[in-house]
Amino acid sequence: MKPNRREFLWTIGAAATTVGLGWQARAVFADNDFADPGWAPGIEEHINSACLICPGRCGIRGRVVDGRLVSIAGSSLHPVNQGGICPRGIGGVQVLYHPDRVRVPMVRTGARGSGEWREIAIDEAIAQLGDRLTTLRAEGRPQALAALTGYAAGTMDDVWRQFLSAFGSPNLVRDAYDDGTAAVMHAMHGISQPPGYDLERADFILSFGAPLFEAWWSPLQAFAAYAHREVGRNGQPRFIQVDTRFSRTAARAHDWYGIRPGSHAALALGIAYVLIRDELYDTTFVDNNVAGFDDTIDRQGRRRPGYRSRIMRHYRTEDVSAATGVPVARVTALARAFADSAAPVAVLGSDVLHDPDGMLAGLAVHSLNVLMGRINRPGGVVFGDPPPLASLPRIAPDPTTRAGLASDAVLPAAGPMGNGDPAMRLANAVAAADPSPIDTLLLYYANPLASSARPDTWQRALERIPFVVSFSPFLDDTTAQADLIIPDLLPYERWQDAPSPSSYPHPVWALAHPIVEVPPTTRQTGDVLLTLSSMLGDPMAGALPYEDFESLLRARAEGLFRAQRGTLFGDAFERAHHRAMEERGWWLPEHGEFRSFWNDLVTRGGWTDLFHDETDPAGVARTASRRIELLPPAAAEALRTVGLTREPYTDVGLGAAEHGDEFPLRLIPYRVSTLASGTLGLQPWIAEQPALHDVHWVPWVEVAPETAEHTHVGDGQAVWIVSEQGRFRARLKISHGIAHETVASPYGPRHPDGTGANPYTLLDGRVDPLTGLPSWSTTFVRLEPA
Amino acid sequence: MRPEIREKLARMGPDEQVLLRPLVETSRTYYVMAALMVVVVLWGLFAYYTQVRFGLGTTGLNRPEYWGIYIICFVFFIGISHAGTLISAILRVSKAEWRRSITRSAELITVLVIGFGAIQPIIDLGRPDRLFNVIFHAQMRSPLLWDVISIGTYFASCTIYLYIPMIPDLALIRDSGIKMPWLYRIVAVGYRDTPEQRARLEKIIGVLSIAVIPIAVSVHTIIGWIFAMTLRPMWHSTIFGPYFVMGAIYSGIAAILVAMVVLRKAFGLEQYFKDIHFDYLGRMLLLFSLLWFYFTFAEYLTAFYGGEPAEMRTFWAKVTGPFAVPFWTMVAGCFFVPFILMARASTRTPKGTLYAGIAVMIGMWLERYNIVVPTSLNPRWELESVGYYLPSWVEMSIMLGAFAGFTLLYMVATKFIPIVSIWELKEGREESVREVSERVATYLPDTPVPAGGVHG
Amino acid sequence: MTRWGMVIDLAHCTGCAACEVACKSENNLATVSPSEADGGRAMSWMRVMAEVEGEFPNNTMHFYPRPCMHCDNPPCIKVCPVRATYIDDEGIVGQIYPRCIGCRYCANACPYTVKYFNWYDPEWSDSEREHLNPDVSVRPKGVIEKCTFCHHRLQRAKEQARVEGRELREEDYQPACADACPTKAIIFGDLDNPTHHVAELKEESRAMRLMEDLGTQPKVYYLRPRE
Ligand SMILES: Nc1nc2c(c(=O)[nH]1)N[C@H]1C(S)=C(S)[C@@H](COP(=O)(O)OP(=O)(O)OC[C@H]3O[C@@H](n4cnc5c(=O)[nH]c(N)nc54)[C@H](O)[C@@H]3O)O[C@H]1N2
Ligand SMILES: Nc1nc2c(c(=O)[nH]1)N[C@H]1C(S)=C(S)[C@@H](COP(=O)(O)OP(=O)(O)OC[C@H]3O[C@@H](n4cnc5c(=O)[nH]c(N)nc54)[C@H](O)[C@@H]3O)O[C@H]1N2
Ligand code: SF4
Ligand code: SF4
Ligand code: SF4
Ligand code: SF4
Ligand code: SF4
Ligand SMILES: [Mo]
Repeated sequence: MKPNRREFLWTIGAAATTVGLGWQARAVFADNDFADPGWAPGIEEHINSACLICPGRCGIRGRVVDGRLVSIAGSSLHPVNQGGICPRGIGGVQVLYHPDRVRVPMVRTGARGSGEWREIAIDEAIAQLGDRLTTLRAEGRPQALAALTGYAAGTMDDVWRQFLSAFGSPNLVRDAYDDGTAAVMHAMHGISQPPGYDLERADFILSFGAPLFEAWWSPLQAFAAYAHREVGRNGQPRFIQVDTRFSRTAARAHDWYGIRPGSHAALALGIAYVLIRDELYDTTFVDNNVAGFDDTIDRQGRRRPGYRSRIMRHYRTEDVSAATGVPVARVTALARAFADSAAPVAVLGSDVLHDPDGMLAGLAVHSLNVLMGRINRPGGVVFGDPPPLASLPRIAPDPTTRAGLASDAVLPAAGPMGNGDPAMRLANAVAAADPSPIDTLLLYYANPLASSARPDTWQRALERIPFVVSFSPFLDDTTAQADLIIPDLLPYERWQDAPSPSSYPHPVWALAHPIVEVPPTTRQTGDVLLTLSSMLGDPMAGALPYEDFESLLRARAEGLFRAQRGTLFGDAFERAHHRAMEERGWWLPEHGEFRSFWNDLVTRGGWTDLFHDETDPAGVARTASRRIELLPPAAAEALRTVGLTREPYTDVGLGAAEHGDEFPLRLIPYRVSTLASGTLGLQPWIAEQPALHDVHWVPWVEVAPETAEHTHVGDGQAVWIVSEQGRFRARLKISHGIAHETVASPYGPRHPDGTGANPYTLLDGRVDPLTGLPSWSTTFVRLEPA
Repeated sequence: MRPEIREKLARMGPDEQVLLRPLVETSRTYYVMAALMVVVVLWGLFAYYTQVRFGLGTTGLNRPEYWGIYIICFVFFIGISHAGTLISAILRVSKAEWRRSITRSAELITVLVIGFGAIQPIIDLGRPDRLFNVIFHAQMRSPLLWDVISIGTYFASCTIYLYIPMIPDLALIRDSGIKMPWLYRIVAVGYRDTPEQRARLEKIIGVLSIAVIPIAVSVHTIIGWIFAMTLRPMWHSTIFGPYFVMGAIYSGIAAILVAMVVLRKAFGLEQYFKDIHFDYLGRMLLLFSLLWFYFTFAEYLTAFYGGEPAEMRTFWAKVTGPFAVPFWTMVAGCFFVPFILMARASTRTPKGTLYAGIAVMIGMWLERYNIVVPTSLNPRWELESVGYYLPSWVEMSIMLGAFAGFTLLYMVATKFIPIVSIWELKEGREESVREVSERVATYLPDTPVPAGGVHG
Repeated sequence: MTRWGMVIDLAHCTGCAACEVACKSENNLATVSPSEADGGRAMSWMRVMAEVEGEFPNNTMHFYPRPCMHCDNPPCIKVCPVRATYIDDEGIVGQIYPRCIGCRYCANACPYTVKYFNWYDPEWSDSEREHLNPDVSVRPKGVIEKCTFCHHRLQRAKEQARVEGRELREEDYQPACADACPTKAIIFGDLDNPTHHVAELKEESRAMRLMEDLGTQPKVYYLRPRE
C-alpha cells in the first residue's frame, strides 16, 4: 500500500519549508560575515600638529594613512604635554569625520530655523558676505557689524581684532575662557595676563578650586607635573586640592579639603593668618617687593589698616574654621605644610572668581603666593612673556573707520575690573534696543543658543539681527538659525598657531596645519577673512595684506627666527640641553635661513623658549609703585565706582551661605575632563562613557545619599533640578563626595542633535560687580522626582 | 472513524480497544489545542528569525548578564528529560511491577524534551551559522563540548530505549491494520512475537535499562559542571554535579505526574493510571523534596559559612536582595508545597500530585533562574558595576514556542503510539503475577520439613 | 622566553580615561546607541574603574584602569569549545573572530569581566569609516572581543625590526593605551626581560595583581598607591 495523497502533500510541504528557511539563513549571515574596513594598509605618515579642542593646545601626532587621519597621539616633542594626551584630543578624529559635519557653504532658503538650505560655492558665499559689508561701509555705519568669537586661538584672535578695527566696528565680542585671573594679576602686579605656574618645579601645589586635571587652562601641564617621579615626598610634587565637592582633581590630589561653597578666600586667609602669626612667611620678599602689608597713615593722619592687621583681626583660625567647615587643626597643618615646602605655590582656580565676591576672593587666594615670595621663582608664579612674533601691520584708518570706532560700542561696560560674560551682555543690549544696532552678526566658535545662560534672550536678540553668519562646521543650535553658513575647516585641515595658555610659564608657539586631505568645497575662516579684506580694499586690505593664513603665520614666524632666542620643539634631552645653554647665556642659531627654519618648525610642530630670567624685577611687579599691591588702589577705586563700602581682606569668604527653604540645595555646576563644551556631543566615544560615572550620554546630578532619600529618588533615576529660573532633567547619581546641602551637575553633555541639559540656564544671574563674571555657585535649587 | 476500522478495533482485546482508540479517533478539542500550539510555535520561530537577523541585541542580555532565558530553559528541559528514561530504567531494573503502565508515557517525554533542551544553547549562540565549528575546531577541555557529546549519546540511547520496548506494540498495530500499514510495516521491523524474538527483546531491554542510567547521570552532572568549572561566585562548587542530577530527576517526576493527570483525563485512562501509581510517585516526590532541601541547604550553608566577600554579594542578592522573590518562591515550590502535599496520604491523590507537580516544575525553573542570573549580575570584582536583566519579547516568545513545540509533538506522538505499553501490560497480567509470587517466596525462609520418619 | 605584560602605577593614574579612548580609537571599537550603552552594551576594552571611599569631606578615590589581564593561566580559554580564544607563546591572549560561535562561555569564565560581546553588527557611517584603523579588523555581530595588548602593533614592530635587521627594542612595541597615558601610569614590556622597566617594577613592594588567589596568573600588575 502506498502513502495516500494527504500524507504525500505533508511530506512535500515540510521539505519545502526546510529548504526555504535554510535559504533565509544564508541571506541573513551573508551580510555580516567578515566586514573588513575596505582598504589594505596604504601609505602611512606620522605628522606633528597641534590640538585645538580646548585651551590647552597640546602638541599632537596624527597617524595619517592614505590621507585619512586614523588616530591622534600626543607629540613627545611638545614641551607642555610631552607625549601625553587627553581623551578629547584623541576623540578629535570623531569630530573631523562626524557624519553631521557641514562641508559646503549654505544660504537659508526657508524661514529662519526652518532647516531649508541651498548649497553654494565658497566664492559665491564670500562674495555675498562681501557685498553686505561693502554696503555697511558705504552707508557709513561699519559699527553695525558685530562678531561674537568663542575659542579664537592665537593669531586668529588678532585677525578678528585687526579685521573689525580696520573695518571700523568696536563691536568685537570675545567670549572664551576669561576666568578673571588676569584681572587679579593686573590689580596686584600690573601685569594683565593670567598667572603662569611653574608646576614642574613646584613641590607643593595648593589649588583653590582649579580643576587641574579636568578643565584647567592646560590639563596636560598639570598631568606632566603629576607624572614627575623625581621631586617631592611621594616622588611627585604634593597636590592639595581645595574644592566644594569631591571633584576628579580632588580625587587624585594627595590630600583635599572639602569646603563650603564660596569660602575659598576664607581658607586662604586662614592660612595667611597662621603664616603671619608664626612668622612663617618670607619677610625679606615682603619688605622689598610688597606694598600694603603694613598699616599706613594717610595725609589726614588717619591710620589705614594694612594686610597684616586685617588678617590678624578678621581671619582667626576659629572664624575660618566656622566659615569653611575645616577643623582648626587642619587649617594650621595646611599652613605649616605650605610654609615648610621648598617650592610651594597656590593656584587660583577660575571658579574662585565666578562668585559675587570673586575679585576680592581672587586677591585673597593669590596673596598666599605673595606672602611666601613665590613670585617669579622656580616652581612659583611666573609670568611668561608671549612668543616674539612679528606684529601685524598698523592700521591706516580712513574717515569711515575712524567714525565707526568713535561710535560707542553696543556692549555695555561689565565692571570696572573685568569684562565678564560679554556674550550675554551683547544679547541683552540687542534684545533691548529697537531697531537692532547690529545689522550683521558673525558667529565664530560660538553657539550662544546652547551655551548661554539665557537662551530665550539670545533667541530674541537673533530675531532682531537682520543678517546672521555662522562659520561653524556643524549645524549647532545657533548655526541652524543663521542666514549664511561658511563652514570653517577643522583644526586638522587648517593653518593655525596654537600658543600655550599663560598658565605655562614659558612662551610656546605650536602650529596646527593641514594633515589630511582638505575639502575643496569650503575654506578656513581665517582665509575667508583675508579674502574679504582684500575684497573690501583699504584700510582692511592694508591691515591684513596676506594671500592666505599660511603666509600670514609664516610672516609672523619671522619674528621667532630673528629673536635670537628659544628653539624648535625637540625631545626631552634637547629641551634640557637648550635650557642649560641659555642659562649660561649661550644661544646658537640652528638655521641659516628662514625657509629651512620654517620647514623645520612645521615638521617639529612649534617653537619654544624654556629659559626664563628669574632675576628681572619686571617679572614681579609692573605697577606704578614697582611693588606688588596687596591692597590694589584699582580695587579700592572700583569698589567706590560700583558703590560698595567694602574693603579687601575684611569679610570676604566669611559670609554664611544664605538659604531658601523653597530651594534648599546649592547647585554646583562643573566641567568634567571628558566634556568639551561645544563638541562633546560630537565625540561618541566620550559621550558613551563619561569615565567613572556609569551614566551614558545623559546629564546627571551628584547628590548626597541623605538628600536622595529626602527626594525619594533612587540612584540612576530621573530627577528635575528646579531653580527660580527654570528646570532641567538629569539622572540622579548618589555620591559620597558631596555635602548634603549641595548638588553638583556637569555642564550639559549635549547630544549630537544639540539637546541636553545646561545647568547654566538655572543660574541666578548674579555677577561679581567688579568683573562682571557670572556667579556659578550661588544658585539654589530643589529636586523633584521626574 | 471509518466503519471498517471500528470493526477491526472491536475485534481486539479490551486493553487494545482503549489504548489504540486515540490512534484512530481524534476529538475536536485535540484539533483546537494542536492549532493553538502551532500558532505559538510559529510565533516563536518568527522571534528567532528576528534574533538571527539583527543579532542577540534583540534579547535582554547584556554585560555582565551574558546568559539568560535560553540557558535557563536548557538546564530546565534537559532536567525534565530525566523523567522517563532514568525513572523507568530504575523501576525496570528494580523490577517494580507498578511501572508497567507508566514507563511508555515517561520515556516519550524524555525523548521529545531532550531535543528542545538541546536546541536552547544553539538558539543562544551569537553565530549559529558557525555551529559546526564545534566539530571542526573541537576544543576538548571545554565542558560545553563534553556536553555536546553526552547529550548526543543520551539522546541516541533514549530514542533506542523508547523504540525497542515499543516494537511489539508497533507490530500489534501493523497486524491490526487500523492505521497506515505501510508505515508500521517499516517500523515494526518484521517482529512476529515468536518466543525467541521476545526473549531477545527482553534481553536487549534489560541491557539498555542498565546502560542508560550512567548516561543519564552523566548528562546533568556535566550541565552542572558547565557552571561549576568557572570561577564565578556560587557557581564554582563541587556540589553542582550531584545537585543538578537530583534536581533533574525531581523535576522529571513532577513532569511525569502532570503528564499522567492530563493523559488520564484526555484519553480516559483511569484504569491504567490508578491512584496507586500517583501514590507511589507521590512518595518519590516526597523523598526528592527532602533531598532537594538537603542539597540546597548544603550549598548555601557552605557559601554562607565561608563568607568569602564575592560569594556573599551573590548570596545576599538571592536571599534578601533583588532576587529574594524568585528565591523564596523557588523554596516554596520545590520544598514546602510538595512536602506538605505529599507527606499526607489524603493529598497523595491525582489532584494533590498535580498541584505538587506544577509547584515543583515552577520551582525548578526558578532554581535555574536563581543559578544563572544573580551570579552573572554580581561579577567577582566589586568595582564592576552591577547590571540588570529584563528578558525581551524575543526571549519570551522563543521560550513559549519551545514549550508549545514540546506539547505539540507529544500530542502528535499519542496519535501514532499507544501511550501505555500494551504488551508489557499483557505480560504483566499473564506472567508477572506468578513470577512475583515466586519471587516473594524466594524472599521468605524455606518451609521447614518436620522431624521424625513416616511409619507404615 | 618573552612574556608581554603591563604595570599600572595607581599612584600616577588620574583617571583621565585617555587610555580608554585611545584603545577605542586604535582598535576600531564601535559605539552603541545611548540606550544600548545604558543597557550595559557599551564596549571598552580598557575601562577605568573607580574605588571611592569615605564620606564628604573625608573621601579618597583610586582608579583602576582595567584591560584584559592576559592571564598566564587563563580560565577563559579552557572553556572555549572551538578554541576561538587562545594564548600564544609570548603570553598574549587572543581572539579568533571568524571562528567564535558567540556562546559567551569565555565571558562568564573570565573573573575580571573584560570580555565584550557584539550584540549587533557594528555601525559606521561612511565618514566614520575614514578613521578606522586598517591594522585592526572590525568585528561582525555575534562574536566576543577584548583587549589584545594591541597585538597588531607587535607584528608590525617585529617586521620593522626584521627589516632593519635588529633585535626588537622595548619602545618598538607599546600599546595604544600606554602611548596615550599622560602621566605614564601604564608601563608595558617583556616581564621576563631584565632590561625592560616592567621586569623590575613588578618586583616593587607596591606591586600586586587582581585576585591573585585565583591562580589565574595575570600579566597586568598594579602598583599600589603610596598614600
Ligand atoms: N575639559 C574642558 N576643559 C575646558 C573647557 C571645556 O569645555 N572642557 N572649556 C574651557 C573654558 S571656555 C573655560 S571658561 C574653562 C572653565 O573652567 P573652570 O573655570 O575651571 O570651570 P569649571 O570647570 O566649570 O569648574 C568650576 C569649579 O568650580 C567649583 N565650584 C563650585 N562651586 C563653587 C563655589 O561656590 N566657589 C568656588 N570658588 N568654586 C566652586 C566646582 O567644584 C568646579 O570644579 O575651562 C576651559 N577648559
Ligand atoms: N552647556 C554648557 N554651556 C556653557 C559652557 C559649558 O561648558 N556647557 N561653558 C560656558 C563657557 S565658560 C563658555 S566660554 C561658553 C563657550 O560656549 P561657546 O562660545 O558657544 O563655545 P562652544 O559651545 O564650546 O562651541 C561653539 C561652537 O563652535 C563650533 N565649532 C566646533 N569646532 C569648530 C571649528 O573648528 N571652527 C569653528 N569656526 N567653529 C567650531 C561648534 O559648532 C560649537 O557649537 O559657554 C558657556 N556655557
Ligand atoms: S588637553 Fe585640550 S588641547 Fe590638550 S589634547 Fe586635550 S583637548 Fe587637546
Ligand atoms: S590614561 Fe593613564 S592616567 Fe589616564 S586613566 Fe588611563 S592610566 Fe590613568
Ligand atoms: S583577564 Fe579574562 S579574558 Fe583576559 S585572559 Fe584572563 S581570563 Fe581571559
Ligand atoms: S564566545 Fe567565542 S571565544 Fe568565547 S567561548 Fe564562545 S566561542 Fe569561544
Ligand atoms: S593594550 Fe591595546 S587593546 Fe589592550 S587596552 Fe591597551 S590599547 Fe586597548
Ligand atoms: Mo569659558
